[in-house]
Amino acid sequence: MVNETRASRAEYYKVLADKLPPNALVVTSLGNASYLWAAMHHAPENFYFEDAMGLALPLALGLAVAQPKRPVFVVEGDGALMMHMGSLVTIGAVAPGNLTVLLIQNGVHAASGGQALTSSKLDLAALARAAGIGRAENVATPQAFASAMGTPPMGDGARFLVLSTRPDVEVVRPPIAFDPVLTKHRFMEALGMPRYVPTMFGGGRLGGE
Amino acid sequence: MATSDEKLADLHRPSEILDTLKRLDFGVAIAVPDSWLGEILVQIEAEPKIKLIRATHEEEALAIACGSRLGGVRTAMFVQNAGLLSMGAGMVSLAQRYQFPLLMLVSYRGTVDDPVFYHVPKGRVTEPVLKGIGLSYAIADRHRPLGPQVERAATYAEEASCPFALLLSQEDVQW
Repeated sequence: MVNETRASRAEYYKVLADKLPPNALVVTSLGNASYLWAAMHHAPENFYFEDAMGLALPLALGLAVAQPKRPVFVVEGDGALMMHMGSLVTIGAVAPGNLTVLLIQNGVHAASGGQALTSSKLDLAALARAAGIGRAENVATPQAFASAMGTPPMGDGARFLVLSTRPDVEVVRPPIAFDPVLTKHRFMEALGMPRYVPTMFGGGRLGGE
Repeated sequence: MATSDEKLADLHRPSEILDTLKRLDFGVAIAVPDSWLGEILVQIEAEPKIKLIRATHEEEALAIACGSRLGGVRTAMFVQNAGLLSMGAGMVSLAQRYQFPLLMLVSYRGTVDDPVFYHVPKGRVTEPVLKGIGLSYAIADRHRPLGPQVERAATYAEEASCPFALLLSQEDVQW
């Protein structure tokens, strides 16, 4: 839920950077969700979206399923969630206990300049619970977020924290190149993922053969 | 001596798909069903080595597949060609932009072999749209065994680091 004294995205990100488990994987949505996170906490285990609005949640779901032993955090916006609200239902049904959704609720399309959302005052935690995500709560302050982040990331089904946030329409300049293929390879290499070995070299399988 | 057509008739083509996915170590399948895909998804659900995720929308399914492949698991998608039409933005701005190798197994509705009045509009535009968005694809050849065609499609996706769609007929995919 949005409140009157909303903290900034950076204040929540400071808590996230401080409390992030050391083996966590982080997926960030487009715009400042990625740019600011890269500026504050760049790491190979970050997967930055550049565009593809609404698809950070489902991508993080797939990642959580593929990497069940690693806690996966995804930062998504309320506008992006509304584009693919069905992903809440899928997350509720799959119920990955290693997935934490951090939903930035700022009531606007911040990444495109602050245009009004279709609806800015929804109880998104209630919506997530209705979709089958039991561990869902509205978080009003960075202090409350720090408290929530103090609990174990793994649990019974996904965790869904709605962060009441002030809009940030000023674009943050990221300190790194946002090259999508580099982002992907850096991420996969950091996780020691199996590499596909081409058939020409006797492969044809993931991890070679 | 059996003719090649007779040998082909012995093969259950949907089983060839499933057997090939298992042999190639596919660990995740993401699906949005239609009437042709319904039963093969039930069969996949019973496979202990393949995790089936039922998505609510094909573009969402595409993103889940990208995440699963990002996590190091070979991933297949099962969708109708209507889904290819509705996932265009995610295809170009996520799957293709980040070069995710994905095998897309697609029920190809609305062709001359499937002239259902409401499928025809989708069948008519499917291939032009795939060409327009630059999605590599092939139509499964019904006169050849399907398993090797699925394997080649999967290999193409990996070698080219891109999604690849194999368009399937009713005989290919309906269990």
